[in-house]
Amino acid sequence: MSSAPKEKLPPLGPVVLVTGKGGVGKTTLAAGLAECAAAREGRAVLIEFGDGESGKRALGARTKVVHRVVDPRDAMERAVANVLGSTLVARLFIGNFAVKPMLRAAPALRELAMLECVRIYADEHPGVRVVVDMPATGHGLAWLRLPAQMRDMFGSGPLHDLSERLIERLVAPSRCSVVVVTLPERLVLSETVELCRALEVEVGLPASRLIVNRFPQPLPEAAWDAARALEARGGASGAAATELLRVLDARKTVQREALEVLAGEASGPLSTRTLVYGEQPDDPAAGDVARWLAEEGAA
Amino acid sequence: MTKVPVTIVCAGGGGVGKTTSSAALAVALARTGARTLIVTVDPARRLAHAMGVEITEVVQPAHVEPAVEGKLFALMPEPRRSTPTFARVLFEGRPDDLARVMRNPVYATMADAAAGMHEIVSLILVAKAVEEGDYDYLVIDTAPSRNALDFVSYPGRLAVLFEGRAVTWLGSMARNVAEDDRGPGLFASVEKRVESMFARILNPRVLKDLAQLFADLALVKDRFARFARMSERMLLGERTRYVLVAAPTGSAQADVSFLARKLSKLNHRPAALVLNRSDQAEPGWLGTLGHAASGEEALDAAVAQVRLEYATRKRAGDKLAALFARELAGVPQVRMPTLESPDPVEIVRALATLMEPHLSVLARP
Repeated sequence: MSSAPKEKLPPLGPVVLVTGKGGVGKTTLAAGLAECAAAREGRAVLIEFGDGESGKRALGARTKVVHRVVDPRDAMERAVANVLGSTLVARLFIGNFAVKPMLRAAPALRELAMLECVRIYADEHPGVRVVVDMPATGHGLAWLRLPAQMRDMFGSGPLHDLSERLIERLVAPSRCSVVVVTLPERLVLSETVELCRALEVEVGLPASRLIVNRFPQPLPEAAWDAARALEARGGASGAAATELLRVLDARKTVQREALEVLAGEASGPLSTRTLVYGEQPDDPAAGDVARWLAEEGAA
Repeated sequence: MTKVPVTIVCAGGGGVGKTTSSAALAVALARTGARTLIVTVDPARRLAHAMGVEITEVVQPAHVEPAVEGKLFALMPEPRRSTPTFARVLFEGRPDDLARVMRNPVYATMADAAAGMHEIVSLILVAKAVEEGDYDYLVIDTAPSRNALDFVSYPGRLAVLFEGRAVTWLGSMARNVAEDDRGPGLFASVEKRVESMFARILNPRVLKDLAQLFADLALVKDRFARFARMSERMLLGERTRYVLVAAPTGSAQADVSFLARKLSKLNHRPAALVLNRSDQAEPGWLGTLGHAASGEEALDAAVAQVRLEYATRKRAGDKLAALFARELAGVPQVRMPTLESPDPVEIVRALATLMEPHLSVLARP
């Protein structure tokens, strides 16, 4: 795939949001993008939500990337403190008997607060590439729709302003780029296509990179001819050749489908070249991903 | 008294083939003649369609193969419709209240974005389906996340909110704020101050909508509590088995360890571990081709490539199996090979056949 002529990819924004279906390698790719940025620009940060284990594992010990973990509770405190003007008051407020269960049961506010944390970090560190390992498809999309929904619901007041700020300074095509990671499998691909459409139509943030991870190694056409010849001869090896052909055909179909489905997307609303990352025998390290991204001119 | 089906909850990280293995397990159970319901919390559209199932809130017969016709049923609710479904189910028989809730802007926005909402809705739908359906087995494919087991506690958490002091307080506050916009005086109580902060952060109109929403939800709290109890029974009952699904990737392994710890906090132990893409041996035909070099360079290269992949997956599978043999000692493991086919239903059927010998472990009655 790397022998194909490469058109230049548009540069990524200061904030890079990485999303895709669960288990497609989002964290690894996000870590790779951050590594790449750190190597080129000197400074980069990987923001992760949750416990931070997977980002740490993907980055490895000798990384130059700053790893930030956004904890939901801290995020809430920080965002509320920003609105109320004091951390202590914010802490009292969040701990209130009535506010506490409400915040737990209405996590939309928590998610808004986590986005606000990303925005604050990006604004306080201009010139530093911020790569965000976003939640998977459905949740990731819900997060990105949130600022506009909340702005419209509140109409005025601090949460309206906070949402407005997020729309202008974070979830805007000039500020951030979305990288969608996918796999060459039917079930994953159809979800990817839905995600890309929703990003474009509902959030106004078309995917700027589409990366197909774990793409099977291409095999020479002559392998099929030889296998068919062997099959025709019959016997034990003939039967074995039939099985091999089944596997080879399945792969070829999957590869063709992946490129067709995504090319259809790309010629439509998406204006991105599909990036294909070849199959790795083991989990690749962020450094390997970074090298590949640099080769592809994708970082 | 409705029959309590044996419930198998499949949990695991993303991308480990959980949806496919859950469907395969359901097919294998239905092949024994048992009435089986497969519930997919996060349905893959392509798989649903391939099984002849619409993504909707209604239980439908699944069409996978003649052997399971009339035995296998599927419930694959659309995540993006869970907000209206939640209200519709709770306010069944109260059209006016339902209309008011659906018009409430706070409800639409908050519920739509609330993580866990769809899981709650799915559980409520399952509870209803079980009441009406007379199933022998229920297979629940949870959302692909480490938080998949949190949904056990979601309904309870919401129920607390509906019943607690918070609702009363919020209701009275909404009235106060609407009447008096001057803010707390110097000697105002702590509660008064919190109220004023709340009004500042939200705004009076939203606060009123929020209070109205809580008042409306309080109307149906008994109904909700009943559903919450039903789902709790379903998920923590003695006829419930947890099957954890993993594959040889770094995060899948960590996810399973995490889920196993969560399970033990709920006083449950995984009934079995399914290890996907963990081939135990290369298939015979590959050996046959490998031993007799064809002399065709391209063919030999292809065979060598496929063999290398099998060997890599076997190594990764062995490592994973050994790791869990230590960490989750005594939990039976079911290793599944990699299946390659462009047709998802073909994979489901093939996996079901491979699972049949393990049914006594995976779905101990």
